[in-house]
Amino acid sequence: MQAGIGTEHDLLLQQKKKNMNKKRLDTWLLLLPTLGIFIFFFLLPLFFLFMTSFKNFDASTGVGNEWTLQNYIKFMSDPFYLGVVWRTVKIALLTTLITIIISYPVAFQISRSKGRARNYLTLLVLSPLLISMVISWVILLSNNGVVNTTLLKMGWIDQPLTLLYTELSVVIGMVHVLFPYMVLSIMGSLEKIDPSVIRASQNLGASSFRTFFSILLPLTLPGVFAGSVMVFSLSVSSFVTPAILGGPQVKVMSYLTYEQVAVMLNWPYGGAIGFLLILIATITIIAYSKILARSEKGVAIQ
Amino acid sequence: MSRKLPKYFFNFVCLLVYIFLLAPIVVVLLSSLTTTEYIVFPPEGLTLRWYTELIEHPEFMQSFTLSIIVALGTAIIATAIGTLASLAFVRRQFKGKTAIVQLVGSPLLIPSVVFGVALLQFYSWIGLAASPLALILGHIILTVPFVMRLVVASLVGFDRSIEQAALNLGAGPMKVFFQITLPIIKSGVIAGAIFAFITSFDDLTVALFIVSTDVVTLPVRIYTYMQYQYDPIITSVSSIMILFTVVLMLIIERVLGVGKVFSSKN
Repeated sequence: MQAGIGTEHDLLLQQKKKNMNKKRLDTWLLLLPTLGIFIFFFLLPLFFLFMTSFKNFDASTGVGNEWTLQNYIKFMSDPFYLGVVWRTVKIALLTTLITIIISYPVAFQISRSKGRARNYLTLLVLSPLLISMVISWVILLSNNGVVNTTLLKMGWIDQPLTLLYTELSVVIGMVHVLFPYMVLSIMGSLEKIDPSVIRASQNLGASSFRTFFSILLPLTLPGVFAGSVMVFSLSVSSFVTPAILGGPQVKVMSYLTYEQVAVMLNWPYGGAIGFLLILIATITIIAYSKILARSEKGVAIQ
Repeated sequence: MSRKLPKYFFNFVCLLVYIFLLAPIVVVLLSSLTTTEYIVFPPEGLTLRWYTELIEHPEFMQSFTLSIIVALGTAIIATAIGTLASLAFVRRQFKGKTAIVQLVGSPLLIPSVVFGVALLQFYSWIGLAASPLALILGHIILTVPFVMRLVVASLVGFDRSIEQAALNLGAGPMKVFFQITLPIIKSGVIAGAIFAFITSFDDLTVALFIVSTDVVTLPVRIYTYMQYQYDPIITSVSSIMILFTVVLMLIIERVLGVGKVFSSKN
């Protein structure tokens, strides 16, 4: 009898262990396709490019055989390239600032609306994320574009303004594309506010301005902050908008990377610029999470 | 009256922003109807000539077909593998989970131009020529993070006792997945697939590095065409792309509700 129970117990344990092993096995089976593709077509290529960025340039093959830090030194010691870094950061900062200002009222309005209206407004606000409209900005801003012809017709200007291929046009396009990220982020923190807090403030006689600056704004600051980090890092790394609306006249880091690789065929230098770009974007995000950890009341980047 | 003034001002500001968001779409759609040889807004006269002219540009039609094939392939594969990985992420504990979560999320943080360059170098080393497959593999990396975010959101809060019941009643694991699990997380999966499709269909950056003279996706075709010519063909092609995406967005809205898809984000 005893032995019987023992074996039954053992059997049960064995069965459990088998189940555990089976579970572990199919966990890895579930992950395998994604993991495999990410290791082979994401990590490995980036790793090889990183190695390439420490190679010298060879005019015939593109990538030489010697190891060198020259690519990074060249970039960081040349005022022209440092100017490009500054322009990249400046455009990203401007974009972030303008996005905050124009997103806030919209986020507020949407978070107050209900039903159908809310759905369609959300759809409208998200549209730049899904429909690529960079080309439309070319049509709007070019010398014989919509904005210039209208201004000429109204007699406000005598000759067309140069709008396209300037920092201005890049910022306009960038604000348009990245706007959804800021709105979603601010909406997220607006929705967490208890509406009775606002009513209380109003009942106690605070003006709308007072309510906004002492209640709404402080409570939504984490959302604004998270949105800013996202907009800033996406703007620093974006390629399509500066390439189409800025072109060679407004060179930013992503465009330099493209130019070095596709036009100059200087792979090591293009790679080095690319990794410096990653560095800038990463530093922003790390700095953000450091501040977040200190303040303890922020919202995580989604 | 004076109390209402800020409200009017506030609504006016919002209206300006909505106009700013919509202006590019309206301008492209309308200026594609112009009878002139150059792009002008408002259009002069109305004609569908620039759409019929597209038929005489078989390279645009070819690119359109290729873009659809690539976007479909990307959507199917990214959704399938992303859904499987999401199941593992939400339901299983395993070693190195945080590292893997970070790896799979990182394409959102890496500038796509750098990824494009890296992929081009890698492809030329392993001898993978420009092909739909080469494009699909690149786009899978870009879209899996989106798919997983949406599927994970729909898996959280899933009542697993239903699955347990089916298992106890003798259904096999496959049957449980297809007849119980999948129907319940359907909305997240469909949203993920549509997002993957749109992202792939719109991608210029990564495709720019991978394409060759015979294999050119539509965004790359428009981009290179614009470098040399600037005529209303650009507006008619862009309009087709815009209308196509709008239809997909309306499907998301109809099937799931945009609010639902994005409320999971917050």
